[in-house]
Amino acid sequence: MTAQSVVQDNGLGERKWRRRSLWGLLVLIPLTLAVEAYDSVKALLGDNDLFERSVAWGQSAHFGGSDWRLTDLRGAFGMKSLPPDSVPVLADFSVTVGDPDLQKLWLGCKVMLIDAEGRRWSPTSIVSLRTPDNVQTCISAIFSGAKTGETLNLRETFLVPKAATKTIRPAVGLGSERPHFLLFQLEKD
Amino acid sequence: MMRKLANLILLLVAVAFCYGLQISKPHYGDLIGPIPVRGKVGDTIVGRSFEVRAEKLEFARKLETDRFGETKVLTTGGVWAVVTVAFAARAESTSVAVASWRGPTGLTYDHTERLSFVNNGFLPVTVDPGLPRKARLVFEVSPAEAGNATVLISNKLLAALDSQAEISIGPVAVLSDGFPVGTVDTLDLSQPIDGQPK
Repeated sequence: MTAQSVVQDNGLGERKWRRRSLWGLLVLIPLTLAVEAYDSVKALLGDNDLFERSVAWGQSAHFGGSDWRLTDLRGAFGMKSLPPDSVPVLADFSVTVGDPDLQKLWLGCKVMLIDAEGRRWSPTSIVSLRTPDNVQTCISAIFSGAKTGETLNLRETFLVPKAATKTIRPAVGLGSERPHFLLFQLEKD
Repeated sequence: MMRKLANLILLLVAVAFCYGLQISKPHYGDLIGPIPVRGKVGDTIVGRSFEVRAEKLEFARKLETDRFGETKVLTTGGVWAVVTVAFAARAESTSVAVASWRGPTGLTYDHTERLSFVNNGFLPVTVDPGLPRKARLVFEVSPAEAGNATVLISNKLLAALDSQAEISIGPVAVLSDGFPVGTVDTLDLSQPIDGQPK
């Protein structure tokens, strides 16, 4: 082997490795971006109710280990000292507990109303109506110690503009199911 | 020899370039800080999750309010600045919890905590889409910081990468004793805000 051929071999090898490295970058850069973004994407999907799962009126849906059914959605008209053109709306759910680990599965439970424009209302603290003893909110139900097979009656109170009452639909999001959430259809749908 | 020198120069240029990048980059706190949305008194300032419009600015030497049925008077060594604002939610119910008063010299006064026993009409305010609400923002400031100030409003304390409304107050004429013109002796906060049920 002469000195010249060694130099030539090295040149060839170097070129080959340079090409391999460049191809390698094509794989490595997207891979690095994916690894870096993984936590952020996971947080984005885990914290937001993004994709709806429609539930027909009268049907129940298995969600967060339990079966959810919307039993009523009605306005409480005639209340005084409320903002003008607003109406309290009560959403009632009947939930049959499947997996009793509610503190894990129902964490971050969020009941909301969504209208045709996609606006979202959270439960209000402005209106407080008297409720029967066996009616709970989603958050209080988490700590109720309910067992498998028990049925929980949940009620959330909202304050919405009168104009929006025609198109509002109740929705439920749970930490264990995000980014999916349940969107309940009404009888008239 | 020339090649070594060229490499050395290239290395020095690279070091200088990297150093330049390092010192000119924004501070991490600025990168993830709040995003300002600016306006004046009377403008509707539209943030990501809420809209706000400052309607009225009042100065007072004392504040009066109700506490469990008895009148409570709050005095101050400075002056009370009370800004009446109208909040509106955008696409979702939201709450606005933080406001501060930044004076012309940069001194920043947080929203007073001396009214925390009153739970209606002051921060934090929850607003629902389509249902605007008014509230009073109350600051205890030095009279010298009353004019040319900016009121900063955000959803929460660390509004990282979220909108922060910045309302410029503009110049305020002062009296000989240093207090803003129109400063009232006592402002009664137990009165309902105009046009809003109590």
